[in-house]
Amino acid sequence: MNLKPSVLDLNWAEVETKIKRFVKDYVENSKAKGIVLGLSGGIDSSTAAALSALAIGGKKVLGLLLPEKETYNKRDIEDAKLVAEKFGLKTEIIDITPALEAIQKTIPAFNHEDKLCKGNLKARIRMVYIYYYANRLNLIVCGSSDKSEIMIGYFTKWGDVAADIAPLMDLYKTQVRKIAEHIGLPREIVQKPSSPSLWPGQMAEEEIGIKYETLDLILYGLEHFMKTEEIARQLGLEKVTVDKVKNRWKSMEHKRRMPLTTKIQYRTAGFDFRLPHHSMTH
Amino acid sequence: MKEKFKIALAQISCRREDKKANLQKIEEYAKKAKKQNAELVVFPELSLTGYTVRDEIYELAEKIPGPSTSIIEKLAKEIGIHVIFGMPELSEKTEATVYNSAVLVGPEGFIGKYRKMYLPTHSVFEEKRYFRPGYEVGAFKTELGKIGLTICYDIFFPEVIRLTRLEGAKLIVCISASPAIRRTYFETLTTARAIENAAFLAYVNLVGLEDGLQFWGGSRLIGPNGNIIAKAEYDEENLVVGEIDYADIRPVEIFVPTLRDLRPEIFEKIKVKTETL
Repeated sequence: MNLKPSVLDLNWAEVETKIKRFVKDYVENSKAKGIVLGLSGGIDSSTAAALSALAIGGKKVLGLLLPEKETYNKRDIEDAKLVAEKFGLKTEIIDITPALEAIQKTIPAFNHEDKLCKGNLKARIRMVYIYYYANRLNLIVCGSSDKSEIMIGYFTKWGDVAADIAPLMDLYKTQVRKIAEHIGLPREIVQKPSSPSLWPGQMAEEEIGIKYETLDLILYGLEHFMKTEEIARQLGLEKVTVDKVKNRWKSMEHKRRMPLTTKIQYRTAGFDFRLPHHSMTH
Repeated sequence: MKEKFKIALAQISCRREDKKANLQKIEEYAKKAKKQNAELVVFPELSLTGYTVRDEIYELAEKIPGPSTSIIEKLAKEIGIHVIFGMPELSEKTEATVYNSAVLVGPEGFIGKYRKMYLPTHSVFEEKRYFRPGYEVGAFKTELGKIGLTICYDIFFPEVIRLTRLEGAKLIVCISASPAIRRTYFETLTTARAIENAAFLAYVNLVGLEDGLQFWGGSRLIGPNGNIIAKAEYDEENLVVGEIDYADIRPVEIFVPTLRDLRPEIFEKIKVKTETL
């Protein structure tokens, strides 16, 4: 297999159709009234929102803008509104700062210096708001996680990843940019560098330590059972760089699965409860 | 025996775990097929129950003949048509041994069943976890000629289709539940199997979504020279009808005599090499 960038090219019209069909089918079968999702103004949530709107109509999609003081970014809010306007979504802005501060105050062990723990708390608080709306209004929560993030575990457990459906989860980050472009997302959003915005100045590629264009090809190679030596050779990378990505992929399996238990009885959740997945309601 | 007849490919989506709803749909499509003068109507793999039913298979499996086949038999008799469909079959001798089977019934009643020989257990497929494989190919004498039954992944194994052909089937039916990523494989292999066996091949795939898998449809009737006689749409429920004329086999069999040129000793070698792979 030749790991050239074009291996990530897909038939974007076909991908759009498949995602729309999946979203529509799920919402219809669950008998929910529509979709709710967090809208950050970034590429992933903008794309998930736009595709949801194209699938079931913008009027049935609620985008929640959930900013907080520390990472407040005017441009992100404007971008989120731009997407909402273009695809006809309903939106609501809720400043999560008071909730965040209230929770921080009640945690005896809270440490302001620990930006990762604080950042994860923000993602989990957003999840609480999103699920409240889902519950209250009978909506399906649409996640925005992409395949690159899911593979390397670059997300908050029970935070941003918490959702009922994740229509972008089989598309690498660079592929999300392509589908976003295909469905007509504004160029400034498509090209905006990715950030989880858990703390000020956090940039995804900087933190991961590798450009998405390269990361996605490494992950594509791993997906296709390629050996790390071969991936490194083809991409002109040190083997240790590719091994690091592979180890990260493997070590993050705990974030992708049901919580592990130890098997005691006949049939067990996460092991051998193997039932068909039916569309759900809250 | 009829030399010429119409076959309908009933590309449906199924409601999982809901045999009643699926039997109703089978009835509806069989009637539509009859209206278009089809004498045989074919439904996808596990069309009685849906494909992705996992552990529920033990609740859903039935003996053949059994309650669901009786309903289809009644339908076939009432409207005067042959029906092929897929269902999980409970073994007669055990309580929870299940086969992935294809059933053929005609206006005169139950004709035969075929138990899928190759059970995919890789990628998104987990069939060996649930099913016991069949050990015999299925070729059944009918008033529409000898009809061979195969199921989905069998098509990747030319020997299954070959043996079915050598049993005398001139129409080979392959019922399927193939998700979208495999489309190119099936589009290539179905044509190849028709050509190399100088036989008609009717491929009927599922459509719809089950557990995130999107079944691509694209059912087709392929002639012995590889031409596509009838083709259903991709991704949508669809009923298409095509005509089979067994007289078309002879010129193809003379032009590319793959059956005449079969070399039995090769099969012996394949057997030996497979045992030591």
